[in-house]
Amino acid sequence: MLTTVVGNYPKVAEGLYSTIGPIAKWERQELTDAQLEEAFREVTRQVIREQEQAGVDLVTDGQIRWDDLVRPLARGVTGFEVNGLSRWFNNNIYYRRPILHKAPARRKPILVEDYRFAAGAATRPVKAVLPGPYTFAVLSEDRHFKRLRPFALALAELLNAEARDLERAGAAFIQFDEPAIGCGKTDVKLAVEALNVALGGLKGTTAVVAYFGALDGALAALMKSKADVVGVDVVSDPKNLAALRRAKVTKALALGCVDARNTKLESVTELHARFKAVRNLVPADRLYVSPNCGLEFLPHTQAQAKLTRLVEAVRTYRTGGR
Amino acid sequence: MLLTTSVGSLPKPEYLTAARSKARKGEIDRAELRRLEEQATREWIAIQEELGIDIVVDGEQYRGDMVAYFAEHFGGFKESELVRSYGNRYYRKPIIVGKVTRRRPVTVAWWRFAQSLTTRPVKGMLTGPYTIMDWSFNEHYPSRRAATLAIAELVREEAKDLERAGAQYLQIDEPAISTRPEEMELAIEALGRVTKGLKAKTLTHICYGDFDTIGPKLHRLPVDQVDLEFANRNFELLEFFRGRRFPKEIGLGVVDVHSHRIESVDEVIANLHKALKVFKPEQVYVDPDCGLKTRTPQEATEKLRVVVQAAREVREQLLNGRPRRRASVATSARRPYS
Repeated sequence: MLTTVVGNYPKVAEGLYSTIGPIAKWERQELTDAQLEEAFREVTRQVIREQEQAGVDLVTDGQIRWDDLVRPLARGVTGFEVNGLSRWFNNNIYYRRPILHKAPARRKPILVEDYRFAAGAATRPVKAVLPGPYTFAVLSEDRHFKRLRPFALALAELLNAEARDLERAGAAFIQFDEPAIGCGKTDVKLAVEALNVALGGLKGTTAVVAYFGALDGALAALMKSKADVVGVDVVSDPKNLAALRRAKVTKALALGCVDARNTKLESVTELHARFKAVRNLVPADRLYVSPNCGLEFLPHTQAQAKLTRLVEAVRTYRTGGR
Repeated sequence: MLLTTSVGSLPKPEYLTAARSKARKGEIDRAELRRLEEQATREWIAIQEELGIDIVVDGEQYRGDMVAYFAEHFGGFKESELVRSYGNRYYRKPIIVGKVTRRRPVTVAWWRFAQSLTTRPVKGMLTGPYTIMDWSFNEHYPSRRAATLAIAELVREEAKDLERAGAQYLQIDEPAISTRPEEMELAIEALGRVTKGLKAKTLTHICYGDFDTIGPKLHRLPVDQVDLEFANRNFELLEFFRGRRFPKEIGLGVVDVHSHRIESVDEVIANLHKALKVFKPEQVYVDPDCGLKTRTPQEATEKLRVVVQAAREVREQLLNGRPRRRASVATSARRPYS
């Protein structure tokens, strides 16, 4: 039973570190690109250290440079332009909607350099995280293909190329985030088809993670995808637990069981109950536990407290907490 | 008919923005800040009177965020560390840490002050219970529903106090209402608790809408008037209402609050005529899309001027015999609204 995080981490810890000042200064041209990069690296070092100190087994770089899940890729792929603000699923948080004007092309690796830096700064394995092709397509406006399927499949090809490059750079665990699955009407068949394209030829451990949504109706198909691990948010919609039981867990499960959208700190007992709920569905050696989504919705103090609590719950569960 | 108003917030003049930042650092005291907030309120009331706005607002010169303002004044809330909104924008999100309470009226003194400056009706401006809940963390209540209904009691007390003080219009904003389709019923129920038995005219402003979700339920919102943004969607929302009898008043946002461009009076007149093919004139109120606080004071004033001039001209055309363009569908053939 391993602990992990979904992806992003607060970029601001008041009194400790922050990207607010460096970005504002860079926008006013008071910092050079290189100076901003150094600021990002420093915050990345800190958030990796924090995850390690909390005891998280599989960490991420915290996506410190990322404005949102799709922005870095949209910026790195020609054919996209980034547009106005749209709501980030059912949160009071906003992202900039990419618009595709012409056939998308990836000229060079987008996240590989950042990955190398993070891996070098960490003493534990660093998971590489990418937006899933279906979510990327649904969150964008497509003025080129004008049909979801070819658009999602084209993005899947690009993401696959990026994932292969990340693997070559040493990423042994690659995750695709698919929050669009289960949020609103979902073409599950297309989502899985595109996901399988994105996962093609990868040799390491691969994961698909869905959060915010209701996954009944999607889980059975996800269990048949090429991913090794399926991540399920059982906090946003508790009915997802029953859906898991119905779908049969045939892969490793990443249980999103800590609420990363509310500051209320879970007790160890509550977390043990959530672990127990999947005890009969998947053996412990195929179970990851994590927050239900990225930690960035939380203020820094609460994000850190929740990770520490999760690790504590796993530790006491292993040592006879059952 | 075609009464003009504005949605709520108006931009803060530079001296007030500077004073608020000084007050945060403790460089000026509460009384000095209050004096400047009152000065700015006086200025905005005078501008609205001069422009000829029918139903005025106090401009919320003393508020920051529409949820945080109430969270700061209600009991049971505390402020969080910074969380990100988007890009490099951060805010302090309220956390519900105990039973929510209203120790004393929050907005009534400001409403009285604003109303004392003008003979025109001043709208009471409140944030709805669902939006306050959705935009806060909740560490106290066992569910989102319990938190929403507890907050609804406080907003109701505030609404009643405003009514008792003489407010004829009470606006209860619910911009979060379309966020989670599965909670729309909860939002309606909570808003109903706020407005039940009120004699003042009640209205709600909704924006950022996922219209597919909220559209079919708009007629069930427990208010007399629904205020929506039409301008920034090129009046496409009209299509939703066409051929249906919408049983409430409609607040028609006719200028875009997110753009620097000042709309021309002619284009707003043309859009109003389009809207009058769908709504009856006596059903329509005319205003900007949303609060104007993100524009400069100059831009806000110019946009309001356009709202008033366009509404006035259309009103005159309707009264002085320019034949009102009829909706193409005969009244008897109209589908019932839903």
